[in-house]
This record gives sequence, C-alpha cells and structure tokens, in this order.
Amino acid sequence: MPESETIRLQKRAEHYIRQTKYREALAVLDQAIKLDPKNAMSWYLRASAKIEMEKFAEAIADCEQALAINPNYADAWTKKALALYHLEQYIPALASSTRASTLNANDASAWYIRGICLEELGKSEEAEIAYAKSLELEIILDIKEEGKRIRK
Amino acid sequence: MKTNMPLSRPIRKFINETEQLLDTDITLLRKPEAAPGGTLIDVYTYNLEKNIIIFPANYIGLLKDFVIAKQCTQLLIKGAAAEKSGYRVCSYDQDSVYKGMRQIYFDALKDEAKKDKKLPVKKLLEMLFMLFRQFHDDLNELPWNPIVNARVYYRMEQLRKTQLYILLKDGKQDMDEMSDMMEIIPRRYFVLDKSMFYARDLYLAKTLPADKLMPVVNIPQMKKFDHLEVKEMLTTRWTHTAWYQSKVFGDHMLEIMEKYLSVDWNKENSLDYYANLYETGVNMTNALMDYMTMKDWFIWEKTQHLLAAQEQAATYEQAALKKIFGDLIEDQV
Repeated sequence: MPESETIRLQKRAEHYIRQTKYREALAVLDQAIKLDPKNAMSWYLRASAKIEMEKFAEAIADCEQALAINPNYADAWTKKALALYHLEQYIPALASSTRASTLNANDASAWYIRGICLEELGKSEEAEIAYAKSLELEIILDIKEEGKRIRK
Repeated sequence: MKTNMPLSRPIRKFINETEQLLDTDITLLRKPEAAPGGTLIDVYTYNLEKNIIIFPANYIGLLKDFVIAKQCTQLLIKGAAAEKSGYRVCSYDQDSVYKGMRQIYFDALKDEAKKDKKLPVKKLLEMLFMLFRQFHDDLNELPWNPIVNARVYYRMEQLRKTQLYILLKDGKQDMDEMSDMMEIIPRRYFVLDKSMFYARDLYLAKTLPADKLMPVVNIPQMKKFDHLEVKEMLTTRWTHTAWYQSKVFGDHMLEIMEKYLSVDWNKENSLDYYANLYETGVNMTNALMDYMTMKDWFIWEKTQHLLAAQEQAATYEQAALKKIFGDLIEDQV
C-alpha cells in the first residue's frame, strides 16, 4: 500500500514539475518522502524541483540522499552535477557528471554539463569531445521526437 | 537573464552582451510544445517588459544553445533597428490584401484553364487569402534566416555542427511544405515559394560553407538536377516540372541574396552593426518582393499595425473577395 501510494505521489509531483508548479510538487514529495524515506526517486524528484526554485544547496543534499540509497542512480548524479554547476563548483560538478555519463552513456544532459564544466576549467579539447557526444545524443532524441510529431 | 538551465560559456556571454547592448532582459523558457526553431517573444513586437525565448523541452544541450544564439541575434537586429531608425515589419491593409488576392486569382484562372480537374469554387476562394498569408509569413521570416545564420556561424564557432544539423532539417521541411498542395495552388506560387527556400539554402551552403546544404545534393526532388547537362536541361521534360522551375527562379533569387548580403559577418557586436543588418534585410526583402511582383501586396509598418491587421484578417479577406467578385460572392461563401 505505501509503495503504490508513493508512486502515485511521485507521478503527481512529476505532473506538477512539468507544469512548473514547483511548490505543489515539493508539498507532494514531502509527503512521499515521509511515507517511504528509502525511495530514492522521491529524493531525486525533490532535488529537481528545488533546482528549479534555485535552492541548489538543498538540491545537492536531496541528491545525496538518493545516492545513499542507490549509488548507481545516474539521473541523481546528473542532477547533483547540475546543482553544483549552478553553485560554480565546477570540479565536483565535473566528477558528478562524469559518474552520470559512465552509468548512463546515453544521458545527453550529463555529457553537456561535463562539457560546460570542462570548458570552465579551461580544458577546451576535452570539452569539445563531451559536447560532441551530447549533440549526437540530442540529435537522436530530436529525430525520435520529430517522428512522433509526424505520426500525430 | 533569468534561467535555471545550464548554458555554455559563449552563450552566457552572448546573452549578457545582448541584454547590455539593448538595455533589456531575456528570460529562457523550455516548453514541450514549442516550435522546433524556438520562438522569440520580444518587447519590440509585443507590449511586454522583458523578452522571452522559448524552445522545445527536449533541447537540453547545444540544440538549445543554437536556438538561443539565433533568437538573440534576431533580437539584436530588432532592438538595434528600434533604437536607430525605427523597427518596421512587412504588414498589410485592406487595399494591399485586395491587390494580392486579385493577382493570385488571375494566376489561378490561367492555371485552371490548363487543368483537367478543376478546383471547386469554394476551395479556390479559400486558397486566395491562404496563399497571400503564406507569402506574408515567408517574407517576414525567410530573408532574416540567412542573415541570422551567417552571423551565428561566424560568431559562434562551437555551434557549427549543431547549426548544420538544424539547417539540414529546416531545409528538408521547407522544401516539403506545400508539396501536398502542388496540384491545387497556381504553379507560379509553388515555384516562387520553393525558389526562396532553394536560394536560402544555396546561399548558406556557399556562405557557411557546408556542401551538405546544397539543395541539389540533399533535397530528394532536386537531386535529379545535379550534374544534369545544360543542353539536357533545356531540351527535355525537366523544363516543365515545378521543381526544375524552382531551381531556375531560385538561382535568380540567389543572385539577389548575394548582391544584398555583402556583409562583414565577423564584426564585433554593436548597435550600429545590427542596425545595418536590419537595413540589409529590409532591402533584400524589397528586392525579393520586386522580383516576385508582390511589391504592392505588403507595406512596411510598425509591429502594432501588423498585430491589428492580423486581427482584421478575416474582414480584409471578405472585403477583397467582395471587390473581386462583386455580388457573385454571396452565392459562393
């Protein structure tokens, strides 16, 4: 019962996040975390909402909770990298995005954040490689979206 | 700038420069239903306090950066024009709509005479304003496209691969547009529409330079004209196809583009530079309108004029139909 209720709350939160209703998303995710604190996805989603609300330090803390539960949670590493990037902590952001892209080589965001961090750290050649990988993945995604649009 | 999304350093710098030059604010917005090329909602067109650049939610990296670079360049052109000489767009009024629709009607009559399958009258009447608007939209967008793309290409080196992908995608889409209406609309307008896109792609292929943008290499309907000998072109059935005619008209339009777009694309950002780009775009639009004999279809006016015209569009259309067909129109509409 708590598990299905947690999933229901997570879906509601995702819906709110898509609608940019971050406060509402946070309220729902607080409930989900209270109900099942061992569910990594609830922490991850709360981090996503907090980044949108510019609460970057809190978002990092939520990502760390998610990663304590599941250290191979690639999306949580990407979110952590994003929050760290916003705080201009480029070295740890690079480490997080590298971990994310190792766990999920198809995550365009992770490669892009890696590119930005490398660029900020003056490693332009490595940045170019990361950007190229990110672009390749984005194009694949875009072609798929285009296909969906045409089918509609 | 207001955004929570990651941005590469050159893009951040470009947005900041744009805001400083124009003394304005830019907000970036990601939306699932956004147009693939992004949308710019700007203070020079609408009564707003800040500018908004909207792009598709699945654009998360360099695709997003390219849309931002393109829209910021467009914003700089508009803003510099507003600051220096006044920003005007191609608009229309009741009289110009009548002139445009009347010309389309005459051309449709010429075409209909040659067709076995005639277009139903109701469809023919609907087509007149639809085509008028199509060319209005194209003329308000297309001439700025090579300007913005050339500028982004020279100023944002790291976006070149992304740009090539977007341009190839746009080129194919623009060439496919109207294809399903090829047999319905007068040949002249199908050809002119395709010619504009053909010339744009060819100009960009030469300017960027990117061989893959050549329509005769990349657009399926155009491929057959690559390596075709002149004699063969002139003596065979190709001369009768709309796509071949698009190539011929497109080559002329390319000459117009090259004549007007002799610009130093690599100059530093300044209001004077972008104001000059605006003048270049206006002059090239006028030349294209002249070439397509559409000069009295459109008028250069303030953006408020166009917004009001768009609200009055249905009234203008009805008034023009009445003027062309007199009392006959009431039996048909």
